Amino acid sequence: MRYIGLLLLVISSLVNAAALPKNLKWESNNSAPLWASPAAEKGGTFTDFILSFPPTLRVVGPDSNSSFRGFINANQLSLTSFHPNTLEILPELATEWAYGKDNKTVYYHLDKNARWSDGVPVTADDYLFTMTFMRSKFINAPWYNNYYTEQIVNVTKYDDYTISVTGAVARPKEELHYYYGLQPTPKHFHTLDDNWVKNYNWKIEPNTGPYQITDVKNGKEIIFERKENWWAKDNRYFKNRFNVDRVVIKVIRDMNIAYKYFEKGEIDTFNMLQPDLWHDKAKGRLYDSGYIEKFVFYNDAPRSSSGFFLNMNDPTLADQNVRSALAYALNFDKVTQTVLRNDYERLEQFHSGYGEYSNPDIKPKPFDLNLANQLLDTAGWTTRNGEGIREKNGKPLTLTITYGNKEHTDRLVVLRQDARKAGIDIELQLLDPSAQYKTIMQKQHQIAMLGWSTGFRPDYWQHFHSANAHKPQTNNVTNTDDKEMDKMISDYDTETSREKRIALAHQLEQKIMVMGAFIPSWKTTYTRGAHWRWIHLPDVPGTKTGDSLYSVFGDGLLWIDKKDKIDTMAARKNQGSKNPVTKVFEQYKVK
Amino acid sequence: MSAYFLRRLLLIIPTFIGITVLVFTLTRLVPGGPIERMLAEAQLGGQKASAHQQFGSQALSEDQLQQLKEYYGFDKPILQSYFEWLSKVVQLDLGESTRYGEPVWDTITQRLPISIYYGVITMVLTYLICIPLGILKAIKNRTPIDNLTSLIVFIGHAVPGYVIGIACIAFFAAHLEWFPLGGFVSDGFEDLSLTEKALDLLNHSVLPLLAYMAGSFAVMTFMMKNALLENMAADYVRTASAKGMTFRQAIYHHALRNSLIPIATHFGQNISIILTGSFLIEKIFNIDGIGLLGFEALMERDYPVVMGILVISSLLFLLGNILSDLCVAWVDPRIRFGEQR
Amino acid sequence: MIINPETRKRWQRFKSLRRGYFSLLLMGAMIFASLFAELWINNRALLVVHQGHIYLPTYGDFLPGTTFGENYDWETNYRALAEKIKIEKNGDFILMPLIPYNPFENDFIEGEYPPYAPSAHNKHYLGTDTSGRDILARLVYGFRIAILFSLFLLAISYTAGISIGALMGYFGGKFDLITQRIIEILSNIPGLYVIMIIASIVTPSFWSLALLLAAFSWMGLTWYMRTETYREVNREYVTAAHSLGASHLRIITHHILPNTIAILITFFPFSVAAGITALTSLDYLGFGLPAPTPSWGELLQQGTDNLEYQWITASAVTALSLVLILVNFIGEAVREAFDPKTHTFYE
Repeated sequence: MRYIGLLLLVISSLVNAAALPKNLKWESNNSAPLWASPAAEKGGTFTDFILSFPPTLRVVGPDSNSSFRGFINANQLSLTSFHPNTLEILPELATEWAYGKDNKTVYYHLDKNARWSDGVPVTADDYLFTMTFMRSKFINAPWYNNYYTEQIVNVTKYDDYTISVTGAVARPKEELHYYYGLQPTPKHFHTLDDNWVKNYNWKIEPNTGPYQITDVKNGKEIIFERKENWWAKDNRYFKNRFNVDRVVIKVIRDMNIAYKYFEKGEIDTFNMLQPDLWHDKAKGRLYDSGYIEKFVFYNDAPRSSSGFFLNMNDPTLADQNVRSALAYALNFDKVTQTVLRNDYERLEQFHSGYGEYSNPDIKPKPFDLNLANQLLDTAGWTTRNGEGIREKNGKPLTLTITYGNKEHTDRLVVLRQDARKAGIDIELQLLDPSAQYKTIMQKQHQIAMLGWSTGFRPDYWQHFHSANAHKPQTNNVTNTDDKEMDKMISDYDTETSREKRIALAHQLEQKIMVMGAFIPSWKTTYTRGAHWRWIHLPDVPGTKTGDSLYSVFGDGLLWIDKKDKIDTMAARKNQGSKNPVTKVFEQYKVK
Repeated sequence: MSAYFLRRLLLIIPTFIGITVLVFTLTRLVPGGPIERMLAEAQLGGQKASAHQQFGSQALSEDQLQQLKEYYGFDKPILQSYFEWLSKVVQLDLGESTRYGEPVWDTITQRLPISIYYGVITMVLTYLICIPLGILKAIKNRTPIDNLTSLIVFIGHAVPGYVIGIACIAFFAAHLEWFPLGGFVSDGFEDLSLTEKALDLLNHSVLPLLAYMAGSFAVMTFMMKNALLENMAADYVRTASAKGMTFRQAIYHHALRNSLIPIATHFGQNISIILTGSFLIEKIFNIDGIGLLGFEALMERDYPVVMGILVISSLLFLLGNILSDLCVAWVDPRIRFGEQR
Repeated sequence: MIINPETRKRWQRFKSLRRGYFSLLLMGAMIFASLFAELWINNRALLVVHQGHIYLPTYGDFLPGTTFGENYDWETNYRALAEKIKIEKNGDFILMPLIPYNPFENDFIEGEYPPYAPSAHNKHYLGTDTSGRDILARLVYGFRIAILFSLFLLAISYTAGISIGALMGYFGGKFDLITQRIIEILSNIPGLYVIMIIASIVTPSFWSLALLLAAFSWMGLTWYMRTETYREVNREYVTAAHSLGASHLRIITHHILPNTIAILITFFPFSVAAGITALTSLDYLGFGLPAPTPSWGELLQQGTDNLEYQWITASAVTALSLVLILVNFIGEAVREAFDPKTHTFYE
């Protein structure tokens, strides 16, 4: 691996001699709508929490995938970014970009003002180094090694402030930015050797974003401070954002205790997707007096593909009638209306929220015991035993659901009760998340309850292509093995016309629904939370694709009224004069 | 007698090896180790996928898996890696935490003072309360006082410490705001004067100590009570009393001393408890102690830390047992170990 | 056990210790009631008279709704049937148990979200948990499981502990030495942690969880058993039995065991309490018996996660405290009754 890395470095430096292609059409974007509030004030300390102390400050390599990585990543800018509302391309570290004729390459002019937090200029070499770094075996991150070898195939330097990035597959323009976008890596900071993982565990890497870590209190908290003279502070799209001076990320290991910190004013904001939190805990004097305000903000972004994945290698579930019957026997609506307090909605299909790519005509199978019973009779599960469970050849219809999240038990016990009416006995198997994942990857599960992380565009090959069926360690956990499906997937993957691709995606969703190996469960269509009234947000407090109202680094829209904080903290023990505030924002609600 | 204790000391070695071999093997055989955790994290939703990368469809090659195994030291047969581990332990090297990437020894010693602080205070307070309470209950056996204290002690014993802890936080820290919500000391601790420091520490310790101690009263109190009752019935107390000693004198001069024997036996076992603490109490009070470290290491499959804590706690436990015997021999000179066994 | 004068005397003594005796009576009543929980906490009717036929649905196979003229073929909803019969007044008769819910079913109230606070009107006398299941039903059925679990656990660990301890004391020597080490090793392994690891990767069943726990809890008894046997072996009657040609097994089971049983009985109540506590802790942490098994630990966990639903926490904590206090009172009395030494002459 090391030699490959070196070789590639040599190759790319040879290519350097190559001149920039002529006739490139350079683009930029300096007229997109702004989304921050001009009323924003700078200053103040913002306190947030995480549930466990991060195992490392590295963002790649072993154990770097903790929830804390989000805070560090948000302060690492990329070449370009997407407008959070319109999804158009915005300049970040690059000022201009142009597309190559091969539909695989993007050329960039870099911002000459860009500086690392230690004052060193960001140049083309830092992008070349990203490739060396990500391909290095010393970082012990095989997925990165693969991605930066197989997906991003080349980075070329034309001069200190001009580069191009080339990917493996031709893609539409906006996808090129998503899949082949690149972040620079500070070349002057890293020494790649056998001890890299260990040596860089607690080193603070120079970054390009608005904040930098200034203090790490082991096991207790991590402090970020705003850069006084950040190089990008006058950038059109960064104005009025990143307002807070100091950000303290406290470690509080229990959600309920963290909420107590919030009620005491020691934490400024609290995300409240959980129904019991929103409805039962978040009420009382502090809310009635308007000291704490509650916001619901509908967003429009890809939804996680969550639900039940039926393993079709299982003899019982190989029967399509049984799979469909199960879908009809699961009373999702009842769970929604009771345990989930109408806060969640039924997920319609495998890829929901992917804009035009999602199929608007697909509705999930409703709860219908008569249909379920008919289908099971057809499938030969005709007799019922003493407990009312159907049998076939003396074997009861018992299905095991493997799941990894304790919070889901409440939902499953309700589903289980109604499924019994159709004569289906559901056993619940709660496993540790990594043990659950292992079981699923070995394809040893019968039914797996899980949700996949979302992408930019629907991706079918990994989940439904026969190339990934019947073997371990692939994401085709339903063991879908269907010739027709294979053909449609390869058509979808090679198609470059947007319209045709969308049509294919719609057909694929339909096919997945008919096959019934995936039973969609729930989605949330909004983000919501509560904040002390000294926290201010723009009139439209979030963004279309944002998943939190209070992301102090990512969106950076909020600001603090310092005087109000002092007043409110002094007054909070008494009955306030103001009215309770609960606001619902439906600008981006999907109808 | 010293030959007996020497033999006991030597027997620590095979026992220690037995314990560590067993747990070491278990950590190897159990799925969900660090590698599988990495694989799972790279794929499953719930965690935000990083903005510009999507690893979804990629699988690792055999070579890459082998590299990961090497990194975590999972590439060798169990026994071979066990002996490599053991030879390091003998040189006082507990290896490196796979989660924190720093030496296990450092990880443990950072948290040691906190655990010892709570452990020692809990133990001292428990003794200070339980011994007098046990005596009182023995003397007032089957009176209303005995019944009432039994009830209280048993409720404390029955309600788990973490439940008491959460209730205390909700009421005393969140509602009344008498005490801080958690942590070991305040943020600006370094800048305080000595008295302020002591007060701050005390302020932070009250609620966790309450949670720690509630459950530990029962065993000790009843051990004391039963032992004293037994001795009060013994012949020598009878004799002493017959010789004209008052009831009180008979108890304090004769019965009490002998009644302390079972308490002394218990002493050694407390040593390892001091260290391990209760991870649930540490979790809710946000105390970064050994108990929490062990639990998190276990859940995150950070096996070097799990093994490191096991090494320390089992050594302490084994030594504690011997210490117990020494205590017993000290309290009761009549007992001669190693002679009749 | 054979009722010999000594045993009778102990029993008399136990009865005279009123706190322990009443605790035993109450505990016995609770266990008895829980064993027949189906008769008083159940969603199946006790008795249905439908068109002249008499049905006793409590025990036995399920009766589909069609039996009573309903239009579905799954288990009859007897509460709905009872409502119907009440309105129609067509001579049918139905008798529902005191608490007409089983511990698994989710009873939802239109327009309200679970958990529901206690309400006599809904017959949820202790309210429901977060998925709408009756807390009293789950407490009682959970108690039954916990106590059976504890007894089964005791059966295994006592059998192992007693026999191994007796063998150690009886044979002594190398066997004793090696077994001592094994016991030392086992008691040093953090059993709860090991069980948690195992439970997080395979969902344990009632039997496997009990076996697992037993594997780490049989050692306690061996020490006492070993010492007692050790003492008994040197008594004259054992030597006499031996010289008469009695086998080892016979000497242990017929001579030594009966004489050491007294000390074992005094441990019994405390071991029951320990078993219940262990199961509850594991359930609390999510490493116990799989959902939807009724469990006190799960209730405790729901309660501590949501302190604002006081009825959940209060029910679980009260139940747990009550049982542990009763068991401890019984244990104390048993100890006193079996061990005359504890009777101070001052009384």
